Amino acid sequence: MAQDGHRVTGWSRWQAAGWVARRELLEFVRDRRTLVITLLLPMISYPILALSTTLGLRTGVMEAEARLAPTKVTVAVSGPDAQGFIARMRGMIDATEPADRKEWPAEAVFEEINAAVAQEVIDSGAADLWLHAERGMLAGLDSDRTVSVTVQSSTMRPPTNAVRGQFLALMESFIEDARRRRIENAGLPGTVLDPLALRLTGDQPRGELPVGEIMNTVAGGVLVLLAVLTMTGAFYPAIDAIAGEKERGTIETLLIAPCSAHEIVLGKFLAVFVITLATLAANVTSITATTAVSLRLLAGNAPQSLALTTASGIAITLIVFIGLAAVGAALCLAVTTAAKSGKEAQNTLTPVILLVSALAGAALLPGMQANRLLPAAPFVGHVLVSHAAFTAAESEEATSIAWPLFLSLGSSVAITWLLLRVTAVMLTDEDILFRGQDSAGPALARPSRRALPTLMQGAIPPIMGLAALWYAQAFMPKDLLVAIPAQQAATVLLPLVVLLWWQRVDLRQTFSLRWPGCGDGLSAGMGLAGGALLGAGVFVIGAAALLALRGDGLSPEAKGLSERLVGLILSQPWWLSWLLIAVLPAVCEELLFRGWTLAAFAGRQRTAGRVALAVLAQAFLFAVAHVLPERMPQTFALGAVLGWVTITTGSLLPAIVGHLVHNSMPLVVLFASDCPPDMVLDGGGGGLPGIDAAGIPTGAVLAAAASVIAGAVLIQAAARLR
Amino acid sequence: MIEVVDLVKDYRAGDGSVVHAVDHISFTVAAGETVGLLGANGAGKTTTLRVLATLLKPTSGTARVAGYDVVADPVGVRRHLGYVSATTGVADRLTPREIFTSFGRLHGLDREATATRVERLLAGLDLTSCADRPAGRLSSGQRQRVSLGRALVHNPPALVLDEPTNALDVLGARDLLSMLGQLRGEGHAILISTHRLHEIEHRCDRFVIVHMGRIVATGTRDELVADGAGLEDAFFVAVSRRVF
Repeated sequence: MAQDGHRVTGWSRWQAAGWVARRELLEFVRDRRTLVITLLLPMISYPILALSTTLGLRTGVMEAEARLAPTKVTVAVSGPDAQGFIARMRGMIDATEPADRKEWPAEAVFEEINAAVAQEVIDSGAADLWLHAERGMLAGLDSDRTVSVTVQSSTMRPPTNAVRGQFLALMESFIEDARRRRIENAGLPGTVLDPLALRLTGDQPRGELPVGEIMNTVAGGVLVLLAVLTMTGAFYPAIDAIAGEKERGTIETLLIAPCSAHEIVLGKFLAVFVITLATLAANVTSITATTAVSLRLLAGNAPQSLALTTASGIAITLIVFIGLAAVGAALCLAVTTAAKSGKEAQNTLTPVILLVSALAGAALLPGMQANRLLPAAPFVGHVLVSHAAFTAAESEEATSIAWPLFLSLGSSVAITWLLLRVTAVMLTDEDILFRGQDSAGPALARPSRRALPTLMQGAIPPIMGLAALWYAQAFMPKDLLVAIPAQQAATVLLPLVVLLWWQRVDLRQTFSLRWPGCGDGLSAGMGLAGGALLGAGVFVIGAAALLALRGDGLSPEAKGLSERLVGLILSQPWWLSWLLIAVLPAVCEELLFRGWTLAAFAGRQRTAGRVALAVLAQAFLFAVAHVLPERMPQTFALGAVLGWVTITTGSLLPAIVGHLVHNSMPLVVLFASDCPPDMVLDGGGGGLPGIDAAGIPTGAVLAAAASVIAGAVLIQAAARLR
Repeated sequence: MIEVVDLVKDYRAGDGSVVHAVDHISFTVAAGETVGLLGANGAGKTTTLRVLATLLKPTSGTARVAGYDVVADPVGVRRHLGYVSATTGVADRLTPREIFTSFGRLHGLDREATATRVERLLAGLDLTSCADRPAGRLSSGQRQRVSLGRALVHNPPALVLDEPTNALDVLGARDLLSMLGQLRGEGHAILISTHRLHEIEHRCDRFVIVHMGRIVATGTRDELVADGAGLEDAFFVAVSRRVF
């Protein structure tokens, strides 16, 4: 049948995506309640935050000023040595140059009184403090003993902080004077107490409140909040875009339009991205206006030192956060694509937002800097680069921000592209698209037996493990002999056993419990040898990469762990260390990540795209489960490689062997080399005990690369024999 | 216009077993013909239609629409196919005009052609009075007509409808089926799946009865129905015979 004379226009990917985006935006702007929440939230969040911060800062500034402002201090002195003490104090005051009277009172009055009326005097306010000079006090000052003096104040009229602080500063000078007299009386030169005269130029004068530093810290907090609120801009549109369409039954109408899943996803992304950008704009506008108001509230309290309002800082933040908005929009879309209803999407997306908050907040941890490749990390990098932009603007080093900015934007584009590809694969996945409704039942009723765990069940044990890791810290013993088995039991085995009890599955399929290849000796040997070569190679290459990327040093946590592991290896029999460091984690973690989680993510209908996504997703969880940021790149790489090995060979055994060899490498290095314990204790490679922080020889890296290639070839060969 | 040959679609159930949702079925629908795909719930009707709509990939066999293969050229199929189902919703916050326009443009019609087509559809489907009202405020019958209009906006030669009258009352169902009659008259090939046999007994040229994924009977009403009986009786006889 003819097309009824209708002309078909030039068909392009962007046109289709544009119409999908237009349709999405039309729908979203008509959802007024969500729109108001998305755009109004920032308008009230920042003023509330700023009000509390500014008022706190203002109070702090005023208190500091009051404390530091020179005031008159009156001290009533009683006792047999009162006269002598007053004379000596006045002599000291007269002999001190004005420049050396740091934090002294403007005027110090010492008056002799009778001890019987002293309390009355300070209670009446005639004196701020009462000092009783016992007999022999002056003689004691010039001897080599310590003289005890009690200075009392009135409980009815307590002295101000300024009086207390300035009196103490004066007494510090008095004590210093007495100290010098003792030195002179002993016939020693006065310089005996001054082995080094240190002057640090440009130092913050003592007593001045570091408003700039405080505001930079506040800026960090605001940037984290900005990251989270920008993500919330993507929250509802993303839920509505795919999960909402599934719930309304409109997704099929889009999928049968003559365009690809990629074009549909691109269109939906553009719509969510626009809303996220609008949220970002509302946030930045609110921040800028709120900052202006805050500065006015702070009045003249060092607003010049604040770098917050610099145009370049705000401009760079805007650019960086456009990247964050893109990653956030794509991440929200990807996460909600697996959901079949808005409610399910909310349940899935909420923990992701919390994870993003944690990642953004990690940028404020001590030692985190926008150097090396860290700006490429999503959310952490975005906040780091933006924060650095303010610092750089302040110190006129704006050019230093160019590379981190480029890296952040480049990685945002790459991550967004990857997430959109993943979303397109998931959008047309038949398992996900036509997944039936979850059967309702009693809360504690166990679901019916399945061949493999569901997608959600795959993610639950690692998340439970992370939570257990946090709570177990309070009870975890310091001794690694107990801590390692306890940690594996609490964070890996217990969640796995609970889920296995809850959801009965085919154990052989879920945990790939079979020999690699066709099961004969040759293919099994090739599979296991391949796993071992990959494990060894990934360890060395990962350690070398970590050394190149880790920047200025290890976090105290990573260094502490490294030291404790080396301590364990050196103090215990080798087989016990090997059991704890290599065997136990290899078996437990492989059962969880490459067994349960990978099987759940890969599902029953294994398309290439879904399998790749499953391998990357379980590797991500594996990396996160290792907590320390320095370890994450290496553990992600190991998780991805072992995931590929398991999928390719159809067996978990090569992955267990690979993990075992990987974790055995520190022992091998320690026992095979002459590496002295104190050297490895001084911060191993990226927190990996046994690796010299000075670097890994190029030959070793090349050998490791050859090991990885050989391992991959053996794995492929074993797989062909299946 | 619609051609299904030896089509198979298997699923893996939660327990790992294989379910043959569609098991070697073949049929055709010619231009200007209406074919009823009949079957109980779970017979494989929806799966067959989803394969035709390119939402599912067949395990084996072929399915073609206007000569385009659902696997080799899914975009070609979508350009020549309109798809409506009882579960196919309409965007609540968009008006019928906006829904038609956006899908017209998605199907590659230019602005002028889209506007002309949208006005014709609104009038033909008796939606002019509510053309600018959000679809969420329309009645079930109106919403189903919007769904039909959305499927027809690019004037496809083939139309596939999966239980389109499920959510409609008697009057709504009669209106919709009358419109389908008009479309058949205009030369559209129509494949309609339903288990409400009485509604389409006299509106289809041929019937294909499926049971447990397999065709158990096929033919015109006269070929299937014995003297004095109805289509429902023929359906029971075919299903009780199990496999054709």
